Formats: sequence, structure tokens, C-alpha cells
Amino acid sequence: MEFKHQRVIVTGATKGLGKAIALSFAGKGAWVAANYSSDDQNAAATESELSSLTQKHLLLKADVTSKNDVDKMIKSVVEQWEHVDILVNNAGIIRDKLLMFLDEDDWDRVIDVNLKGTYLCSRTILKTMIARKFGRIINITSPSAFTGRAGQTNYSASKGGIISFTKSLSKEISRLGITVNAVSPGFISTPMTESLNQDIKCDLLSRISMRRLGQPEDVAEAVLFLASAKAGYITGQVLGVDGGLI
Amino acid sequence: MEEIINSNGKLCEFLKKMIIDTLRLEDITPGDIENEASLFKDGLGLDSIDALELVVAIEKIFNIIIEDEDVGKKAFASVNALAVFIQDGYQRALKN
Repeated sequence: MEFKHQRVIVTGATKGLGKAIALSFAGKGAWVAANYSSDDQNAAATESELSSLTQKHLLLKADVTSKNDVDKMIKSVVEQWEHVDILVNNAGIIRDKLLMFLDEDDWDRVIDVNLKGTYLCSRTILKTMIARKFGRIINITSPSAFTGRAGQTNYSASKGGIISFTKSLSKEISRLGITVNAVSPGFISTPMTESLNQDIKCDLLSRISMRRLGQPEDVAEAVLFLASAKAGYITGQVLGVDGGLI
Repeated sequence: MEEIINSNGKLCEFLKKMIIDTLRLEDITPGDIENEASLFKDGLGLDSIDALELVVAIEKIFNIIIEDEDVGKKAFASVNALAVFIQDGYQRALKN
């Protein structure tokens, strides 16, 4: 899969899955605009890695929950690169607590970043994609949206919302040459999963048919596939990348 | 473009061509579209997704943004309604 000269925006792109996705696109010749919200140190490190893969990269500090920030971010990319071909709505947070202890701010923040951010970025990018009658929007959801998970009512609701959003938006704009899909990563090897104690790790692994954690690159490959010409007839779908999560 | 906008007749003809080109309507010529006929359902048969493409085309060509769905519905009522909407938008932009 080659993405030469294709312009990509990845939100939440300076760590974890988002970073792997951004670097994978850059490694395939794409122009990559990496969004982040606050962590300047990780952003600088990501920019350094991007620059070793592609000369065409941008670092975009913007809060995806702010319409003003998102407007400015997309405008800035379009002004510099003329258009955007691919949007990956990856920015997401967790604030896990049992519902009894989940206060309004925990609820609002998770819904805002995960779901409202997806709405704002998708809505703002539509005009440039409609004008060219081409676009790929890929949203990151979670198995938690399907199965639920104790302590994740806010997160599950936001990720379930992303699936419904993906399916509805695909019905609005697929006719215009824009596909909308979601990727649902299972348990992926990250600093967070690495730091879990052995018992929890064993429990996690027992729920994965492949008996191993996924790698960020596994998720990135699925995103790149859905963004590629090979996936031109796929829209409104959720692709699980979870090693056969039980 | 100013000359076209200031002439209702020329603007209607321009808009008919724009609609046909933007939506890649086959077997339809500007002469087939009446100025007062509805662009949707019983008229030209367009739908809300077609309107999205027209919204983007109008912004690109005339620099007039349609942000509100109700405004869009009124503007796309007919070719003539769209011409009036664009002329009003153009006049407002000149005043500002």
C-alpha cells in the first residue's frame, strides 16, 4: 500500500496507537499532519521520527473538543497542503470509574474528547473531501463498545457512539466518494499494558484467542488498509484488530 | 463573475450549468430546468446529499457559506431562489 502525496491528519498522534498510525502513513509516502493536545515533549519526539520518514509533515497542537481549535487546525492544513485525503480520528482518553463514583466531569470529558472530537474533526473536514469527491475517514473505537466493561460506562458509551456515528455518516457521504469506517483494537501492547501486574496480564491473555497482545503496528496496518484504494468499496464497517478477543 | 451575479438571467443559466456539472447529471441540459421549478423531489429530483455537493460548490465559486440547513432548504427551493440567495449574499458581502 502506497500513499504517495496523500494528505493525512491523525488526531492524538504523538503517542501509542496514534503515533504508530502516523509513522506508518509517513513510511508509505503520505504527508502526515500529527495532532496533539498538550504533551509538547512527546510531540517533539514524534516530529523528529516523522521527519526521518517524510519531509512533508506538520505538528498541530489543537484541542479536538474545541470547534475553534479544530477549525483552525483543518484550515491550516488545507492552506498548506490544499486538501486532506484521509482523517484518522484517534484522539481518545479513559477515565475509568464505577458509575457510582463517576462524576459529571469524568463523563463529559471522555464523551467530549472521544465522541465530540470525532464529530468536530469529521464535520470540519467534509467540505474539502466533498469538493474533491474523495476521502477516507477512519475512527478508532473499542471492543468495550460491544461488550461493555465494568468501570467504563463513559468510555464504552463514547466508543459505541463512534460506531453509530461511523455507520450513519457512511450512509450520508459514501455516494460522494468518501468512505467512513472504524477500527476496533483489542488489547494492544503499550506502556500501560506492560505495567500491569502478572495476574491481570494472565487474565487478559486468557481472553485473547491468539494468547498474545497486539502491537500498535497491527492496528496501524488495519487503518492503512481501510485508507487504501484496496478498501474503496468498504464503508460503514468496524474492523476488529484484537487477536480473536473472547 | 460580478456581471453574472448582477444579471438574474445570466446567473440562473450559470447556476443550471453548475448544478449539472457538479452533480454530473446525465441527459439533462440547462434548457430542461425551469427557473421556478423545485430542485428536489417532484422537480429536478435532487436529494439532501446532492445539496451537500451544491453547498460546497457555492462556497467555492461564490464564497458564500451555507451553514444552516433551513437556510439551505430555502436557497435550494428553485434555481431562481438560489439566484436571489446568491445575489443577497453578494450584496451583504459588499456592504461589509
